[in-house]
Amino acid sequence: MGFIPVGTVLHTLKLLLPALIPSWRFFDVIAPSPRIEYTLLGTADETPVNWQEFRPRPLTVPISLMLKRMFWNPRWNEQLFLMSCAERLMAHPTEHSEREILNRIGAELDEARRDVQSTPYLQFRLVFLVRQGEEIHKRVTYSSKVHHYIEGFK
Amino acid sequence: MSLDFAIRITEILLGLAFLQQSVEHFRAPKNEQRLFIPRAVLSLLLVLGFQTAWVCLALVMLGLFILHRFQGPYNGGSDRMSLLILSCLCLANFIPILQWQEVIFGYLALQLVLSYFISGWVKIINPEWRNGLALKDVFSFSAYPVSEALRSLANSPGLLWSMSWAVILFELIFPLTLITQTTLVAGLVIAACFHFSNACMLGLNRFFWIWLAAYPSIIWLQYRIFGIG
Repeated sequence: MGFIPVGTVLHTLKLLLPALIPSWRFFDVIAPSPRIEYTLLGTADETPVNWQEFRPRPLTVPISLMLKRMFWNPRWNEQLFLMSCAERLMAHPTEHSEREILNRIGAELDEARRDVQSTPYLQFRLVFLVRQGEEIHKRVTYSSKVHHYIEGFK
Repeated sequence: MSLDFAIRITEILLGLAFLQQSVEHFRAPKNEQRLFIPRAVLSLLLVLGFQTAWVCLALVMLGLFILHRFQGPYNGGSDRMSLLILSCLCLANFIPILQWQEVIFGYLALQLVLSYFISGWVKIINPEWRNGLALKDVFSFSAYPVSEALRSLANSPGLLWSMSWAVILFELIFPLTLITQTTLVAGLVIAACFHFSNACMLGLNRFFWIWLAAYPSIIWLQYRIFGIG
C-alpha cells in the first residue's frame, strides 16, 4: 500500500460504492446521446471542415453476427465505454476521458493504416443528439485540443 | 437448493462471465492486457473451484485496479453487478458464520429483485415511458441500437407502446414471482429472454451473462424463506 497514494485508494473505493449499493435506474430518462466525430488537419491552426463520425454503426447486423456477439463483442463494448467517457467529459471534464477517446481514435487510424503524413493533426468533438418536440437536434458541446498525431498522444 | 450449492453455482457462472469479459480485452492496449489476462486466469480457477476464497479476494483487488484504470466502470451496470456478486461471494467465503453468509447472499438476491423492480418503478413514473416515447428515443437517436436498420423501429409507435408496457409491468411484478417455484422459473426465463434481446439489439451482451450469475441467489432465497425448491 506504501506505493499507492491514500487519495487514489479513497477515490477508487468511492468508485466501488455504487456497485455495492446500486441505484438500478436503468434508462429512467433518455438523455441526450453523444457521438464522437474527428478530423485530421494539415496544420495545428487549420479550421476543421471535414468531421467524420468515429465508428458509425453499420446499416444492418445479421442475426448470426448478433449471436456471435453474445460471446465476442469487444468493439461495441469499447464503444459503450467511449460513450461513458463522452458523458463524463461533459459532466466532469478530466484528462483521462479525453486521452481515452484520443487513444482509441489513434489506434483505429493505425489499424486502418491511414496515411496521416499530410494531415498529422487530430481533433475530436462531441456532438449530442437531443429530441426537442418531434425533431432531433445536433449540438456540438465539446471540442478537444488539436493533437499532433505523428508525435503520438498515447 | 443449499447455500453451499448456490454459492458454488454462482462462482461457476461468475467465472464464466468474467472469462467472457476478460477475453474481449486480449487485443486491447498492453496496459489493459496486464489487468485482464490475470483476470481470465483467476476466472478459470474460480470455475474450477480452486481456492475460491483467495481467488475471489484476488479478483476483488484486480477489480479495484480496473476501476482505477478506467476511472469508473468500463461497462456501466454490468460492471457494477459483476463487482456486487464478486464482493458478496468474497465475503461469504471469508465469513465462517452461516447466518452472516445467509445475510450476504440474501443481500445479493435482494439487489437482483431491486434491479428489476426499481428499473420498472423509474419507468412507470415517467410519462414518456408510459406513452412509448422514451423507447422511441432509444431507437431513434440513442447510441445503443447496433444497426441503422433497427432505428426503423422508432416508426412503429404501437409496437413501442406495447414493448414499453411489457417491460414496465414485467419489471414491476418480478418480486411476485417469488411466490411459487413455477412463477420464479418463469420469471427468470422471461428475464433472461429480456437480457438476450437487449444483447442482440442494443449490444449489451455482458448484462446477459452477469445477470444469469445472480440467479442462483434468488432461487436459494426462495428456498430459504418459503421452503420451496
